[in-house]
Amino acid sequence: MFVGPSLILMLIFIAAPLVTVFWNSFYVTKPQYEKVEVETCTPGFPKPKCTTAVKQLPLLDENGKVVTETSFVGLESYINVLEPNRLRAALEALDWNALNNIEFWQALRFTLLFTLVTMPLVIGTGLLIALTVNGTIQSIKGPVIFVSLLPFIITPVIGALSIRWLFIGDGILTAALEAWLDRDIAMFAQGWTIEILMYVYRVWHVAPFAFVVFYAGLQTLNNDTLESAIVDGANRFERLRYVVIPHLMPLIIFVLLIHLMDAYRVFEEIVGFSSQAYVISLQWLTYDFLMPDEAGTRSISRASASAMLTMVGIIVLLVIPLRRAWRDRRKIH
Amino acid sequence: MITKPIIFAGAMALIGSGAMADCENTVPVKSLTNAFPAYVIMTDVMKGCGNFEAELDKDHRLKVQDVLSSDPALYTIVGVANATSVPLFDQELVRPLNDLIEKHGQNLNENQFITIDGNVLAVAALFNTQHLMYREDIFNDLEIEVPTTWDEVFEAAETIEAAGLVDYPLGGYYMAGWNLGFVFVNHYLGEGGAFLDENNNPIIDADKAYLVMERMKTAASYMDPEYLVSDTTFVTKQFQQGKIAIANLWASRAGAVNDPNESTVAGNIKMAAGLMGSAQPASTVWWDGWVVAKNITDEEAEAGFKLIAAAMDPAVIAANNDAAVWLANGFTPGLAAVGAAATAEAGAPAYPATKAMAVMHTALGNGLSAYMTGDKDAETALADILADYEVAAKEANLL
Amino acid sequence: MSVPKSMEKPFWLKLLSNGFLSLWCLLAAFPIAWIAIMSFKTPFDAFSPNPFNVIFGPATRSLGHGLTTLEIAAGLALAYFLVVLALRWLPRQVAHYTPAGYGAFGWLVAALLFGFVAIILFLVVIPAVTGPLNPLLGPLGRDILGLTTEHYEAVWIDRNFVRNFGNSMLVTGGVVAISLTVGTLAGYGLARSGTDLAFWLLIVALIFRALPHSVLVAGYLPVFIKSAEILRPILGEFAPTLYGKPWAVIIVLVSINQPFTIWMLSSFFQNIPSELDEAARVDGCSHFEAFRRVIMPVMWPGVITAGLFSFLLAYNDFLVTSLLLDARNMTMVPAIAGMFNRETTASDEVQAIAAAVSITAPLFVLVLVFQKQIVSGLTAGAVKG
Repeated sequence: MFVGPSLILMLIFIAAPLVTVFWNSFYVTKPQYEKVEVETCTPGFPKPKCTTAVKQLPLLDENGKVVTETSFVGLESYINVLEPNRLRAALEALDWNALNNIEFWQALRFTLLFTLVTMPLVIGTGLLIALTVNGTIQSIKGPVIFVSLLPFIITPVIGALSIRWLFIGDGILTAALEAWLDRDIAMFAQGWTIEILMYVYRVWHVAPFAFVVFYAGLQTLNNDTLESAIVDGANRFERLRYVVIPHLMPLIIFVLLIHLMDAYRVFEEIVGFSSQAYVISLQWLTYDFLMPDEAGTRSISRASASAMLTMVGIIVLLVIPLRRAWRDRRKIH
Repeated sequence: MITKPIIFAGAMALIGSGAMADCENTVPVKSLTNAFPAYVIMTDVMKGCGNFEAELDKDHRLKVQDVLSSDPALYTIVGVANATSVPLFDQELVRPLNDLIEKHGQNLNENQFITIDGNVLAVAALFNTQHLMYREDIFNDLEIEVPTTWDEVFEAAETIEAAGLVDYPLGGYYMAGWNLGFVFVNHYLGEGGAFLDENNNPIIDADKAYLVMERMKTAASYMDPEYLVSDTTFVTKQFQQGKIAIANLWASRAGAVNDPNESTVAGNIKMAAGLMGSAQPASTVWWDGWVVAKNITDEEAEAGFKLIAAAMDPAVIAANNDAAVWLANGFTPGLAAVGAAATAEAGAPAYPATKAMAVMHTALGNGLSAYMTGDKDAETALADILADYEVAAKEANLL
Repeated sequence: MSVPKSMEKPFWLKLLSNGFLSLWCLLAAFPIAWIAIMSFKTPFDAFSPNPFNVIFGPATRSLGHGLTTLEIAAGLALAYFLVVLALRWLPRQVAHYTPAGYGAFGWLVAALLFGFVAIILFLVVIPAVTGPLNPLLGPLGRDILGLTTEHYEAVWIDRNFVRNFGNSMLVTGGVVAISLTVGTLAGYGLARSGTDLAFWLLIVALIFRALPHSVLVAGYLPVFIKSAEILRPILGEFAPTLYGKPWAVIIVLVSINQPFTIWMLSSFFQNIPSELDEAARVDGCSHFEAFRRVIMPVMWPGVITAGLFSFLLAYNDFLVTSLLLDARNMTMVPAIAGMFNRETTASDEVQAIAAAVSITAPLFVLVLVFQKQIVSGLTAGAVKG
């Protein structure tokens, strides 16, 4: 009864589109065409130009709708996305470059690396800030927390754009780096620098969230435990290792889980840094299939297949933490 | 920006002089267009007529088809370019305008009409193409002739690079995706190549394609190494900040590069004809203009068309002369239009806008970046592009 | 509070941790501070590779937009006065005028009013006073810092950003209100039911949260545009077009945000002892009554925290709002993207920067006001994994 409204919303707006996506990934809807000879005149400068050519036009039914035909294609769209033949060839030849040239695997490589690299950095930075803020004098805590939260609350699109403005071309920070290292630097001219910028941006953006969660956790840390640890002769590091970290463990798992899901969805960075020439992510790949080209053609079926594969990926990644949660629950009941 | 004060001044002057009196509009009209200055000017005029609501959206192509195919259509009039108009014409989502032109189109000229089998389906407002822009002061200093082919451009770039007057001799909109694909399309058409046969099978001439790819790489070597994230705005900015000396750029930027409010080298940038390929100019001709939705009442269509005609009133065009290369009456080609006119005269082809070509363009834009970064050689890149095209075209039932 | 001797930090650690903290604060604030500076310059200065040009704005100054030493001194004095006022006088006024329990909202109103007055003082009063004085002061009256507010004027007046601001407030307010109402009920229900079904619902919610949004949104777009046509057989003449309607976007954002909200709130409710509401039910209260009388009074810390996250999601959303809203109802974030289009000029870009700074300002106020609540809400157990 309490859950009802929430459940209905999620069913209509999340589950239903999901089922459609699943269905779409096995079917292809094709418009039907006919060939017609037409004369077209377009503006020239200064005189109009006319050409007569045979054109392929979509068939229209009596209501003026395009006639389409939907057919079951099985796994064809998945195969088109995964390109297993090229994958096998690349794996057999142990050719890393060839593997990296297949869009899906390139996207998967970056998405996983992005998730795994930023995760420890976010947790570590967040923890470090939380510990130092917690240890600092009372009067500056407020302002420091305020400043620390800024990167987290700022609109992601704007955050990515501001980083871009600082680095693109002879942006102010690139110019500073150039002056410091005394050489010409172009941050957006090769893949690895863009990738590093993305990692840095993500850590900058998410670490404050980890910080504020950990900081809240530190407030509930029992001083007695710490004091008894001191009586036992534990040094600073041991206290951190055996008292503070275990106390924060559930929170660390929480942040880890949230970050895992968010980092796996990485998308804003690709668009914000327009990095598609060098690095792409899984969500970007789906987005790219979905966006219509100039003449309005979308690759719905391949987009659905790639979306389903992305889903499978996140479920695989979530299995380990979820099994843990399930076992904890079993223990309680 | 040169255009902005003019927009406001122009619109104000018109309202003041009462020239708008005859465009009084009583039927609610909504428009969906791209967002560049020419559309801002035209929709501002329409707003002056009353009962009008404009949506300026650079991503309007994502919605155009859906909003026009719904019944009733969500917008009365829509601004399209030659490439975005294809699905609208094909699916007969726009209204033939012959009767309305008869009644209200006295100000329009025949060169503005996009006619298919005798039906006028769109009214173009402006003309666009890509042509050479160069720093006249540097060219004079180094005594360089204005280049007409890409090889001459490379020679000039070599001289400029040796003189060290600018950071990078060349600028180019090589941003991965649509822009990069477009550069290829222009070069390849300039070599006289064809993309697709009448059954939409790819007939790309490999030798010509390799030549073009090679040339694109050569051009890129004279550019800022961040060329794969550089779009037209970025190139314009490079010009304005005096970082580059030559670029083959959209005619619609000719005003901005010499804008004294933004440019450190205002007045020094001159326009010339688009560069020649071995067969024809390596530039394509575009138009931008208006269509009227089909799924609306005749009354709304008439009101929408009257607004379109009012927005292209010769007085409006004359007041905003340098904001675009207008096709409408009232335009006097100025300094900024020199390049566009010369390119068109040299016989630049229209962009081959078809449904299949759009798929090919996307495949090219995505596939070429791996070649530019050096991840793939030319053979692999071209083969992958063709394979990509085939998959996408089959999914759209074009093959 | 005295710190036990053994807990006190050695000098090197203090130095290290303070050094780290300063570095972090610099990193955290720099990009935002820098774009704020850029937004006040002409394009020529804003994109200059020389940082001093960006800060001092010689080109902006040469166009006659600048601050004199006198104006800077007056501005700094006013700023100092305002800060002192905000710290000493304002808290008392807020405490005086707001009823107990609504402190945070009182602060929100006070901060907005205060900010408004400050803007008037800086932009209207100071120039009016210094204007006639400048020529009399010689070198002190000469411009030394280029500064122009023309981009803000262009954004807020010419581009009618006020309307976008209103839309943002409408969408954000709607999302927070509905999301919390629905989410609190669901979170409470799930926390109290304790069945396996409830557990699996939470897990499914978690997986939903991990879904890429672009997949969902692209699915909505055609349906939303044609909804009038689709719904006509059922609803007849009243069939609405969902595309472009703020309330449709509110519902979508609420749904997308539901998993996180119920997840957070259910773990928060699990920390409230269930004996509380059981006792109430023994006293003859229905389920709803127990919720209303016993739980509602103690749930605010967790709800406020969840509300803040909903606020951030709705306020910062780009993908959903940019695709599903039309120009009239566009919120601020996608409106910025409209300033970057095929024919953008450098002036447009600086305007976009000014708009970006304008968007960030309310977030500033929000954090300033709710900072304590965020920490205390999280401390109270809104997140326990």
